[in-house]
Amino acid sequence: MSQENDTKTFRYPLRWRIMDALEAALDVLWPRRLSPYSGWALIMPALLLVGILVLGLFQIAESSLHVLDRSTFMPAEEYTLANYEMVADSATYWRVLWRSLLGAGLTVFFTLLLALPYSYIMVRTPSAAVRKALLVALFLPFFIGQVVRAYGILIVLGTSGAVNDVLGLFGVEPVRLLFNFPAVVFGLVQYMLPFAVLMLAPALTAIPRETETAASSLGANWVRTFWHVVIPMAKPGLVGAGLVVGTLSLTDFAMPAMLGGGSQDFIANAIYDQFFRTADQGLGAALALLLVALGSILVGIVIAVFGAGTLGMGGKK
Amino acid sequence: MNQSPSAGTMQAMRGEPPKVAVRVRDVTMDFGGGALAVDRASFDLETGRFLTILGPSGSGKTTLLRMIAGFQKPTSGAITINGRAVDATPPHRRSVGMVFQRLALFPHMTAAENVAFPLKMRRFNPKTIPGRVREFLDLVKLGDYGDRRINELSGGQQQRVAIARALVFEPELLLLDEPLAALDRKLREEMQLEFRRIQHELGVTTINVTHDQREALVVSDDIIVMDGGKIQQHAQPVDLYRRPDNPFVAGFLGVSTFVDGEATSDGLRAGGLTLRGTHATDISEGAPARGAIRAEQIRIDADPQALAGCDTAVPGKIHDVIFEGERLLYVAALDGLPGVEFRIYHHDPDAFDLYDIGAPVMIGWNARDMKIFKSVA
Ligand SMILES: Nc1ncnc2c1ncn2[C@@H]1O[C@H](COP(=O)(O)OP(=O)(O)OP(=O)(O)O)[C@@H](O)[C@H]1O
Ligand SMILES: [Mg+2]
Repeated sequence: MSQENDTKTFRYPLRWRIMDALEAALDVLWPRRLSPYSGWALIMPALLLVGILVLGLFQIAESSLHVLDRSTFMPAEEYTLANYEMVADSATYWRVLWRSLLGAGLTVFFTLLLALPYSYIMVRTPSAAVRKALLVALFLPFFIGQVVRAYGILIVLGTSGAVNDVLGLFGVEPVRLLFNFPAVVFGLVQYMLPFAVLMLAPALTAIPRETETAASSLGANWVRTFWHVVIPMAKPGLVGAGLVVGTLSLTDFAMPAMLGGGSQDFIANAIYDQFFRTADQGLGAALALLLVALGSILVGIVIAVFGAGTLGMGGKK
Repeated sequence: MNQSPSAGTMQAMRGEPPKVAVRVRDVTMDFGGGALAVDRASFDLETGRFLTILGPSGSGKTTLLRMIAGFQKPTSGAITINGRAVDATPPHRRSVGMVFQRLALFPHMTAAENVAFPLKMRRFNPKTIPGRVREFLDLVKLGDYGDRRINELSGGQQQRVAIARALVFEPELLLLDEPLAALDRKLREEMQLEFRRIQHELGVTTINVTHDQREALVVSDDIIVMDGGKIQQHAQPVDLYRRPDNPFVAGFLGVSTFVDGEATSDGLRAGGLTLRGTHATDISEGAPARGAIRAEQIRIDADPQALAGCDTAVPGKIHDVIFEGERLLYVAALDGLPGVEFRIYHHDPDAFDLYDIGAPVMIGWNARDMKIFKSVA
């Protein structure tokens, strides 16, 4: 067979050529005898990033140990736990803490409640059109961003917004729907839903359809199939989505700020106030550390209860 | 469409009408892809019998089974289970146990919990559930494995859990969709006998689907052969093997050689040779015909005297010799018909390697073993 004929039946793909060139270049930059260390080299950038974070954390820890000197408006020299005592003694901060936790918890609950059927239908629908529509509806809000979305909610739920207009048609006096706790949770759920759906979809895809068919032949109607088969089998996805939604909500700033109207601060808003309004760095740092500790403990508890395996990290608990 | 010969004759013998557990009438499934997945299938299955639906891949076996289970609605036709029309009954209200091709066990439950699941779903008295679970785990010889998670069981053990789960609620009907296809041959043959034992022990009416002809012959009381969505033949194993209704069935079970030619009154004329055979279908002399003969029914010998008892004995040549362990497979052609390669089994343990490739031999058979069918255009 001639060479021309050979290239007709099989052309060496461009992608392979690029790989060849890259590998040759790599051989020069990273000789083979270094290959036992390749793994380390590959995670180096990630380690660096984490290192910077840890450094920052130390910095914050350090500054949380100085109180603000009111005469100079600079942090005082001596080390003290006064900032922590101040937080612990303050009813306001306890209220903020409790509000953040409750808000995050409620957001996780409602988000998962809404995301589960949404992603289930998206994964299981036989119609490609329905699937595409659901996907588009999911991604559109991503492009809009949190601030614009919150603004949209302000308009729709405002005293002269669309919702109150509709209520007005039924003779209902304008209701104050905004600047309260439910409004913040509503905004957070709306914001988190796409994340949760995106994390649940792969978990649901991994459940063989035949398993559900089997459940129905064994006598389970769809409600029981969902409860006894789909939800337990989707547990890794539910736990993962719950963690992401929970931590993002717990540390959220924009929704409480915009939809809470100053009356519904979460921890992040309190921290912001200390850093950028009162300029009390020490107090802000103490609050920030508390937030990190709180988040870590919660994640730790979830992983201890459900096992790292449920997050798709392999291995059993 | 061929009716089972057994239904009528057995009825007459016992003098009482056998109970029909499953009645399928003109059931058709059209997925809209041109050909029908199932094309006017009709059959009856008597209570307590083991029926196997046998056919090549894509012949519509799974589709037919899923319609009986209620997972798919037939485009047309009717299905009755124990006298009740089930067209409007969803799967979870039918009393049908099913073992799936990929088992579909619940990985988040133990073996025992898998078996208990249908009992809970079907609202059995909670007090009776543990005893019943134990009884059925014992039945499939998994008494000590109840606490194991599914992924801690071997393939064969998972199979057994799936069987126990499908049987524990005493369904009116057990459906098996090629649950053995994924197992290695030894385990598969062991499980085939296991199916048979359990089915005899419980007497549950069973429909099994497979493309493994050996499995069908070993485990079944009745066999339905399907091809292209159509039922080709419905018969008991021995009848099906001995008296195929058409060349497809003759070729699907066992190893057969086909000869095309024109029919004579007592055989087939092909390539100037007259080969003796018997008419399997109504066919007039001179019509295009196809003869089929099985590998174990052909004799081969260098000595013409040895084949004196055969109705047909023709000289030919060996093309190939294949060692299959317990037997030898000769590929040989008749001198007047070089294009048709006859496949011939040879079992004589003393006469292995008797003939070399190219050796001249006599090839013969009896008229009753060569089946003559009408050629399909
Ligand atoms: N849901 C479906 N949609 C469209 N066509 C289908 C569907 N299910 C099956 N078919 C088609 O129907 C025909 C019969 O399929 P079926 O699954 O019943 O075959 P089978 O005999 O079980 O084959 P196998 O031995 O490979 O399992 C095939 O041509 C298949 O492509
Ligand atoms: Mg199939």
